[in-house]
Amino acid sequence: MAHCSRWLILGLLAALSAFAERPFSSTYDDTRRVSLKGAVVRIDWVNPRAFLYIDVRDSSGETANWAVEFGNPIELERAGWKPGSLRIGDVVRIDGFPARGYRNQAFARSVVLASTRRRLFVVPPKTRVAAHLPAPRWPDGQVRLGPPPGKKGYWAPTANALVETGAGIIPMNRDGLLLNISDAARVAPFLPWAKAVYEYRQRTRLKDDPLARCIPAGGPRQFETPNGFQFVEQRELGRILVLLGGGDRNWRVIYTDGRPQGQADEVVRSYYGNSVGHWEEGSLVVDSIGFNERFWFDKGGLPHTEALHLIERFTRPDLNTLKYEVTVDDPRTYARPWKGGWTMEWVPGEEIQEYFCEENAESTFLR
Amino acid sequence: MRPRLTNSCLVLAFLIGVPAFAQQGHPLTGTWSGDWGTAATHRTTITLVMNWDGKNVTGIINPGPDAIPIASVDVDYANWTVRIQAEGKDSAGKPVHIEADGQLEDIGSYHRTIKGVWQQGNEKGEFHLTRD
Repeated sequence: MAHCSRWLILGLLAALSAFAERPFSSTYDDTRRVSLKGAVVRIDWVNPRAFLYIDVRDSSGETANWAVEFGNPIELERAGWKPGSLRIGDVVRIDGFPARGYRNQAFARSVVLASTRRRLFVVPPKTRVAAHLPAPRWPDGQVRLGPPPGKKGYWAPTANALVETGAGIIPMNRDGLLLNISDAARVAPFLPWAKAVYEYRQRTRLKDDPLARCIPAGGPRQFETPNGFQFVEQRELGRILVLLGGGDRNWRVIYTDGRPQGQADEVVRSYYGNSVGHWEEGSLVVDSIGFNERFWFDKGGLPHTEALHLIERFTRPDLNTLKYEVTVDDPRTYARPWKGGWTMEWVPGEEIQEYFCEENAESTFLR
Repeated sequence: MRPRLTNSCLVLAFLIGVPAFAQQGHPLTGTWSGDWGTAATHRTTITLVMNWDGKNVTGIINPGPDAIPIASVDVDYANWTVRIQAEGKDSAGKPVHIEADGQLEDIGSYHRTIKGVWQQGNEKGEFHLTRD
């Protein structure tokens, strides 16, 4: 029986790890507040979420153990914080948002050390790089998508969700959740089934997001996941690798050796599709087909079918800026092809840090 | 005995993790299995394979030598009700009309379901399908 239990535990861990990267909106209720005070009994400094555990005593004298999420360790460390910034036994005051559905879990808006009233784990907002240097170039004059020679850097993910260009401002939160569900029809030219699916995903606060189960996310979504991405241009091999720092920490291959795009019914279906690219007036233009239907190509829950065809255009007008434009063509999902996009910023002098979606499941659920 | 137990545990462990491979396209696309019948003790196993082609949901009932092509699938996307119609044959080989009216539930789940009323000729009973 013990032998069987081991396999069952492995299966359970596999299932629980599936929930390692859930959207904030489906995990926490930001319309409510919770205030806690207690002694720290454990600290889990694990990507993508850091947790501390405190014993909180209520008015009847009963003690309950609370799990409090307080940020992304990569961002915390960038701001100078370390696991040792807080010690076991320290008493802290927490102001935060309670979790939906789970008892005794919260997301901290603030963590204050009770003895000194010092606020811990504050991450200042990122400031835009002021200098606008020209885009780095290869000796033949073509723009480089990676760092200048001898330098480091990567592209920060966008905070935006994908919407059709020209739709105007559609209020959404950081997870791509519409503030007003009646705006759904403005997001993209959905076929009726697709609009119904999109609205369902929105109404259920993105709870079924495959990325929350560490499933790879192709299409524009790969540029929305935390921790950024990097281009590695292997010109001698006729390909560009896109290294993804977030999600399931995967990579995508864009062939630039002049090969033709495959036939849609012959390409093996995959999360990142079959991508061929070429340079056009200073922009990398990438044609991709052959996607499977196991992911959301945008964090807001835009649906697609295997007929999805994307044309992406990457333009780097200066060192710090990458313009991303994508044409979405999926006649089984959308009434017509449509375009969207955003601008991404360069993070100079740093490499993408280590991050694994599968980690932290224990912190969240195996308590 | 030990290998059989191990295999059973492996299958069980695998099934726990299965939701990771959900199909996220049209909610009806895929293979559905279940049964229908006029009573709890009188059930007939059914398998439906459906696919969204961009205009219609097409498919077959009970793939194999006795497969029945689905004639039409109508979906009301406002409330996710589904009507499936087909022309099959009874045990004597006579044509029989099949009509299933159901409710698609939990559309975001890999193991989403359709439950409702299945009518095959003069027989009528409840049906239940789960997406495999």
